[in-house]
Amino acid sequence: MATKKNQLNSLMMKTYENSTEAIFFFDIEGKAIAINPAAEKIVDPEVLKQLLQGAEQALCQSCRGYTSDTDLHTCLNCYLSSSHPDDFSSFQVYLETKDKGVVPYTATFHTVDFENGVRVFMLRNMTKQFKTQERLYQNRMMKHVIEAQENERKRISRELHDGVAQELLSALVDIRGMKYMPSKEEILKKMKQTEVTMTRLLDDIRNLSVELRPAALDDLGLEAAFRSHFKRIEKSYGLSVEFRSDISKKRYGSEIETVVYRVCQEALLNAIKYAQVEVVKVFLFEEGNTLQLIVQDEGIGFKLVDKPLGTGLGLFGMRERSEIVYGDFDVTSGISKGTRVRLKVPVGDLRKEG
Amino acid sequence: MTTNKDEYQLEIELIRSTTGCDLIAVALVDNAENQFELKWKYASGNLNNRFKQIVLQSGRGVAGIVFKTGKPLLLESISESVENENLFNYPILTFEKLESIGALPLWHEGRVAGVLLGGFREDRMMTEKLLHHMLEMIEQGIGNLDGKEWVLVDGYKEKPIEFLNDENV
Repeated sequence: MATKKNQLNSLMMKTYENSTEAIFFFDIEGKAIAINPAAEKIVDPEVLKQLLQGAEQALCQSCRGYTSDTDLHTCLNCYLSSSHPDDFSSFQVYLETKDKGVVPYTATFHTVDFENGVRVFMLRNMTKQFKTQERLYQNRMMKHVIEAQENERKRISRELHDGVAQELLSALVDIRGMKYMPSKEEILKKMKQTEVTMTRLLDDIRNLSVELRPAALDDLGLEAAFRSHFKRIEKSYGLSVEFRSDISKKRYGSEIETVVYRVCQEALLNAIKYAQVEVVKVFLFEEGNTLQLIVQDEGIGFKLVDKPLGTGLGLFGMRERSEIVYGDFDVTSGISKGTRVRLKVPVGDLRKEG
Repeated sequence: MTTNKDEYQLEIELIRSTTGCDLIAVALVDNAENQFELKWKYASGNLNNRFKQIVLQSGRGVAGIVFKTGKPLLLESISESVENENLFNYPILTFEKLESIGALPLWHEGRVAGVLLGGFREDRMMTEKLLHHMLEMIEQGIGNLDGKEWVLVDGYKEKPIEFLNDENV
């Protein structure tokens, strides 16, 4: 029995000495009783000294906050002095290390000696896990991007095959048939039908081209491109758009115009798909060196934290696009409170600084 | 004298009462000034007129698909056959809250000139049998359309357009 306890003691000592986990023991007053070699390696020598002397808030010099439900880095309700120590059985904390800068750690902080109120603070480096997670996230995003690209190609290819090629074939059949028609009237009738086919074909090609990239955006600017886009939306989906703009014919960098146009397009499509509304409001205006776009509906809304109904890529894409032009993108929504998408892009002088 | 308009309306009212559909609608090609637009023109049992504003693109939506392919379309259960994600591509289904539909091409002189839609606001009400019944009702034409999928050329039956395939529906 005694040997077993001895063995355990020696194992615990070895763990303390050789573990890669940093271990701190604090007494009831918050003074560090013991700090293992792994911990010594990460904490600044000056802080270490103060810790052992029991200087008040010595750890705070290294600590960069822990992650709570609401914040990534916070000092609110600090784990060292919390009135609910049970909450800190496992949490994430950021420490300024001696030579590696700020590093994320998984931490536990709990009482091990109830008689004397001694607590242990253990830290495990999370950098590697974070990197793996990030890579996983990137891979997944890349997969989504490739998939979206392929889907778009599929759509275009289909449109060409089913739309353009089909109509052209039918016109061709008509023209072939004309060669064998005996009377002028019959030929005229056929010609008329062919004309219809060709007109439809022209429409199809125009639609396809505008959907890919509206020429109006390059030639006439945002306002004109928006107006024709909204007209198309009204025609195809029966959603009317109340559009107010004070930018008139003003032009911006092609990058900015594209981002604003695409964000608006995506926001409108979301409204069509999910909001269950007949009207959407779109505002486009300049305010203090920023170009602002607001897309607002009074539809059913959604909870921002909920799992997205679609892929969730739409919102992600809008945010990504905004970042390209140093824009500020935000979505506000709530169940039956409607949804508002706002994009602010710095233009003019502000942009140069950005 | 009955106008074209009254004729269509009377005929679709009759189709609705015989089939028991919640909605019957007819889409026709509008050829004003070289613009050949396909729109829902007549309806019986509709909740509102919102869907009549929509210009249908050939190959898109219920009417667009039927118009382009010249083939009947049957969606017994919309919730099963159309993903929620894609429902917005079929405005008439959402606007009129349809759950089960069938659509037929309307022929005139060997060409598709319009689309007839029958829909229910309940799941699995439209069946192949009912769609057949609808087809029989319009075989002799509707409104000013002759209903002829085949035309006579020099006394021979000729099908003017051979559609390539229908795998794209």
